[in-house]
Amino acid sequence: MRWLFSFLLLSLMSAVRALSVTGQRVLVVLEDLSEEKQYNQFWADLEERGFNLNFQSPKNDTLSLFKHGERAFDHLILFPPKSKAYGPSLAPKILLDFLNKAGNILLTLSANTPIPTAIQSLLLELDIHLPSDRNALVVDHFNYDSASAADKHDVILTTSPSSLRSDVKNYFSVNGHIAVPRAVGQVLGNASPLLTPILRAPSTAYSYNPKDDSESIEDLFAAGQQLSLVSALQARNSGRFTVLGSSEILLDTWFAAKLKDKEGKAVRNANRDFIEALTAWTFHEIGVLQVGRLEHQLTLPGSLRNSTSVQSNTELSPKIYRVKNDVTFTIELSEYSLNRFIPFYLPDSDALQLEFTMLSPYHRLSLVPIAHTPNSTIFRTHFTLPDQHGIFNFRVNYKRPFLSNIDEKRQVTVRHFAHDEWPRSWAISAAWVWMAGIAAVVVGWVGFVGLWLWSEPTDRVARGKKTQ
Amino acid sequence: MPSGAVGPTPTKHTSSTSTSSTSALGQKNLKNSTDAQQILQSVWQNYLDKTPQRTKLLDVFLGFLVVVAGLQFVYCVIVGNYPFNAFLSGFSATVGQFVLTCSLRMQTNPENKTEFESISNERAFADFVFGSLLLHFFCVNFIN
Repeated sequence: MRWLFSFLLLSLMSAVRALSVTGQRVLVVLEDLSEEKQYNQFWADLEERGFNLNFQSPKNDTLSLFKHGERAFDHLILFPPKSKAYGPSLAPKILLDFLNKAGNILLTLSANTPIPTAIQSLLLELDIHLPSDRNALVVDHFNYDSASAADKHDVILTTSPSSLRSDVKNYFSVNGHIAVPRAVGQVLGNASPLLTPILRAPSTAYSYNPKDDSESIEDLFAAGQQLSLVSALQARNSGRFTVLGSSEILLDTWFAAKLKDKEGKAVRNANRDFIEALTAWTFHEIGVLQVGRLEHQLTLPGSLRNSTSVQSNTELSPKIYRVKNDVTFTIELSEYSLNRFIPFYLPDSDALQLEFTMLSPYHRLSLVPIAHTPNSTIFRTHFTLPDQHGIFNFRVNYKRPFLSNIDEKRQVTVRHFAHDEWPRSWAISAAWVWMAGIAAVVVGWVGFVGLWLWSEPTDRVARGKKTQ
Repeated sequence: MPSGAVGPTPTKHTSSTSTSSTSALGQKNLKNSTDAQQILQSVWQNYLDKTPQRTKLLDVFLGFLVVVAGLQFVYCVIVGNYPFNAFLSGFSATVGQFVLTCSLRMQTNPENKTEFESISNERAFADFVFGSLLLHFFCVNFIN
């Protein structure tokens, strides 16, 4: 049945080029709605992927992210306001509530307009630090676009971002260079495990305030790869908040610009592809994991151990087990990619772990992929329950950068041995001596009783004689 | 008072053994070990002569139970008492049987006849059998 459902979903999905798992309602907050046509290519790309765009000004009184307690929109794109703030309907608390309801936010910043203090404090709360100078932007004297910023050096030319760690798949790799005009560099704090940089500044970049006239910089905010041009935060409910340092990168002119590096050599413009990958990640079209079937059962005999068919002789996912039972745990994982579910391939140096926990894990085992369906991968492991009774949880906790979070828990009771499940005494070789002792006593007793009954008491014989 | 058939002879024996022991003491007071040995010997002889056949049968059974218990105890000391329920069951079988047999001995010993007037030998034996069966049932059940 499960696979039938997946096929149905697949056939619906293939109608559009891409589709977000969360929804298609996008709210674009743009203060000056006349600027809308400058980003036409960006809107066209989004609409082609199935999103319904709704343009509103932040000062609009009727603007509300929520309706009847639920999200009115699934995704939010915020453009920098010319005025000091976004307005009461987009207060930081409301944005956080939106994120807490698993909505996605793409926040763009610009060095041309001052960043609202509310946004600055919101980002600080998320452990993303912005330069305290309102006009600061990122400048690089070695990696700049000589076609547009030959003197100011404020258009950064970066190569495709590489993957963060060897076990994390790179969702943002593009063929070409990315031009980031007048970006606000961010510094990500170390404390939060939810933050990941998507695009970092080249090692020769630094944050610079153009209003500052001095020969050298005092109080440098940050330099090099510490500066993050595009940062991502994925909340524990997998809601995504992306901070794009430059809002100008979304302009049609920058999608189509002819880029030249420092020496004047023309390089391929990969802005459009990068923004496509970025919005796809932010709006839950890529990097989304989903759990399909999840079962645990008493381990089947050897031949059926790795069979993925639904028929089985043992009850699926019982509520109660016994200590030292042999148990098999199976989980089906899919990865959502643009518009369909594909099997999830675990990176080589990574492990998908099952924890068998009561207060602390008694077992932490790697789940091994045993089969692939067209839409998912099936992982399985076998183990023996610990010699401890209690309420345990099967927990799969998989949280990785750029992948949505998986935290599945199933609770089971583990009982002691029943009185008739203990091994019988003849099966325990140490007990044979005691059994022999009892047998000796019984046999000796039977013999004694026989002898006693057989031997007449002498006084009885005498009494018999007397009465006669 | 001992029973009629065995009556006159034991008294004679006791007197003779007592006289012989006093004379032995009087004459050979240097060799104490021999005296002790002789005392034990005479005790043993007295036991063999005086006790009824049935009581001796009981004593043989008691001795057998002690041997079985001793063997189990030696095993426990050497190897340990795992599984504990099996150890308890085996050992208490011998101990319980010993207790029951002792009570049967007390109740059927002709010398104790005055104290157990109301209980006939057959009644004592029946109680013994019933108690023994209960004990065996318990021990087999407990050893699982």
